[in-house]
Amino acid sequence: MVQLKSPLLRQIRRKPLTAIAPITLLVVLVFLFFRSSGSQKLRTYSYKSKKSGFFNHHRDVIPRNLPGDHISHYDLNKLASTPMAAYNKERVLILSPMSKFYNEYWQNILTLTYPRELIELGFIVPRTAEGDVALKKLEKAVKQVQTKDARFAKVTILRQDSESLASQKEKDRHALKVQKERRANMALARNSLLFTTLGPFTSWVLWLDSDIIETPHSLIEDLVSHDKPVISANCYQRYYDDEKKALSIRPYDFNNWVESDEGLKIAAGLEDDEIIVEGYAELATYRPLMAHFYDAKGDINTEMALDGVGGAAVLVKADVHRDGAMFPSFPFYHLIETEGFAKMVKRLGYEVFGLPNYLVFHFNE
Amino acid sequence: MTNFSPKSRSNLWRGPVYLSLLSLGALLFFIYQKLASGRYTPNFAAHEGVEFYDLLDSVGSDDGWQREERVLFCVPLRDAEAHLSMFFGHMRNLTYPHHLIDLAFLVSDSSDDTMGALKRNLQAVQTDKDSRLHFGEIEIFEKDFGQSIGQGFSDRHGFAAQGPRRKLMARARNWLWSVSVKPQHSWVYWRDIDVETVPPTVLEDLMHHGKDVIVPNVWRPLPDWLGNQQPYDLNSWQESDGGLALANTLDEDAVIVEGYVEYATWRPHLAYLRDPYGDPEVEMELDGIGGVSILARAAVFRSGSHFPAFSFEKHAETEAFGKMCKRMGFSVIGLPHYVIWHIYEPSSDDLKHMEWMAQEEVRQEEEKKSKELYAKVWGSGFEDAKDEWEKEKNKILRNADFADRKKIVVDWSGADDFPEQPPGKLAGFDPKA
Repeated sequence: MVQLKSPLLRQIRRKPLTAIAPITLLVVLVFLFFRSSGSQKLRTYSYKSKKSGFFNHHRDVIPRNLPGDHISHYDLNKLASTPMAAYNKERVLILSPMSKFYNEYWQNILTLTYPRELIELGFIVPRTAEGDVALKKLEKAVKQVQTKDARFAKVTILRQDSESLASQKEKDRHALKVQKERRANMALARNSLLFTTLGPFTSWVLWLDSDIIETPHSLIEDLVSHDKPVISANCYQRYYDDEKKALSIRPYDFNNWVESDEGLKIAAGLEDDEIIVEGYAELATYRPLMAHFYDAKGDINTEMALDGVGGAAVLVKADVHRDGAMFPSFPFYHLIETEGFAKMVKRLGYEVFGLPNYLVFHFNE
Repeated sequence: MTNFSPKSRSNLWRGPVYLSLLSLGALLFFIYQKLASGRYTPNFAAHEGVEFYDLLDSVGSDDGWQREERVLFCVPLRDAEAHLSMFFGHMRNLTYPHHLIDLAFLVSDSSDDTMGALKRNLQAVQTDKDSRLHFGEIEIFEKDFGQSIGQGFSDRHGFAAQGPRRKLMARARNWLWSVSVKPQHSWVYWRDIDVETVPPTVLEDLMHHGKDVIVPNVWRPLPDWLGNQQPYDLNSWQESDGGLALANTLDEDAVIVEGYVEYATWRPHLAYLRDPYGDPEVEMELDGIGGVSILARAAVFRSGSHFPAFSFEKHAETEAFGKMCKRMGFSVIGLPHYVIWHIYEPSSDDLKHMEWMAQEEVRQEEEKKSKELYAKVWGSGFEDAKDEWEKEKNKILRNADFADRKKIVVDWSGADDFPEQPPGKLAGFDPKA
């Protein structure tokens, strides 16, 4: 038998358990050493597919109609927004957040005289049962038009990702308390719609609310001809006047306004997260409202400079949006949504105008 | 009286129980469907030019690469020809599935061949034999904004130029994402072209945190004489009381920029919190962010957050983007110990110093040469005669030793005796004659 010379080896041979302590110590030290230096090593990830479980519906996210090498080139220096829009073949994007589908709205869109091959449509529906109803009606309407030769250049329909307020009834909708939340949600819907449909061809963006049921047929040509960065039509409503026993019109959208000293004073006294909204007795801003400047005998092309706009029918040069003008979902100078949008447009150095004598009509509930 | 056995009872009830369980299951499944994905989905497959998207499909998850989530990769370019090949080297190495990455480039105000180089590099990747390298949709946009500010490092990073420059860059960034974000994008990644070192897993590394907006720490290597390395991106910071107080003193259109002594904000910077041995997973809440490398959910941009080209809460561009995201309730996170490295571009002071160093090197080289020459000339021209003299001196001195010589006696008496001269008459000299 081989004689073990080292006392250490002999010790281990006689009592193997005594080796455990030093070995453990060694392992711990090695572990500590490698862990501290290993922190800068690359992480490894699994690339196994996790998509389409039993309950998840399949999603089609692969881009279609790509060029061979997938590369496309756009020269945005050549993109223009001119008063001769139709002649210059400028693309107009009509955007409508839609919680209800009104047939009159759709019929009105179909009677617009601007060339349909230059019009793109964009809709966003809320994530509610009401949205489902609107979506089904819209689907039917779109399918009817898009099979014909005279179809729109493109139609994009989106489902909003965030949950919407359940109730959209006229009464609840205008309560001051829910205004902020409602308009913040509306702003998010508008932005989501705008920034997924705005493309490298878009010259103009027309915001047209889905409850605007009557406009002049030449709406786009008329608004374009003013050649303004942002221009808003005056939104009225037709109703039956019980006193006069006749059809009449009344102002509807009070969000087109000129800033007043009183309005600025109120704003100065507000907390950072408070907003001012028009049309409430609690907040008397004494702002001149475009709705009150309508003159039935006046020139339809009369312009007035504005500080706040409503979203009923507003034409925007696409460059203004591309520069970053969006609809704030948070109080921006104490303004929100379309009114905040007007403020942001002005902060970016553009001007905002309204046409007091150019009427579009809101649905009467 | 009846006497049921348990077994016969269960037999009797079995049918209806199974039936009701089955219908209950079907009902639960129906409710689940309604709640989970549940909303109505129209089908426009047969209709050209009509598209439907549920934005809930592209909210983005922290393991997006396993769920076919598309990333929009945005790259603003200006006079970037020199950096493109390095950039595409990184692009080829990206581990995120390339077919899920859509590229969007904005080429603006370039005087070099940025466009040509970009197209050549793209063609090379897209026609590569390995189809796994091919990217998804690639869009190149061209838009010149006109620029009053030079593009040298010191022109760009001087204090006075910051406000207008940042607003212009903000416009460029907005033009890029607003035309390229599509409903199918779940994430948007912003990357500057001049990043030198970056992990190929950078998208996964940032995405797995599952935040709305997230940025790494950005440093740059330096020459030895400047101390090896330095924080590069000082735009990622947390708001401080000092910063807020400063903002209150400035007018509406002023833009605070970090990293300049003119604006002392005392804000904690992401860059300075780096520990080279720290855990790269560590997160830090931020208010302003830098734009070298940003991963954000596409929903952030869809919701309207953007790079303000105006003074938003006294900031512009990426820093204001951070502020706006916070304002809209999104999470804005920085990773202090996860670092990517920007290239080193010398400043004009650095350039001066480098020029001086180069000249100094030449001067020292020449000095060394002339010293050698002098040494040679002195060596041959002036022989050392000291040792020789030591020898010869003894010989000479020995000759001069009179100690052992015989003394010679000379009698000089009478030598000073002269004959008497007649008085008043000088010998042979008359000045008057």
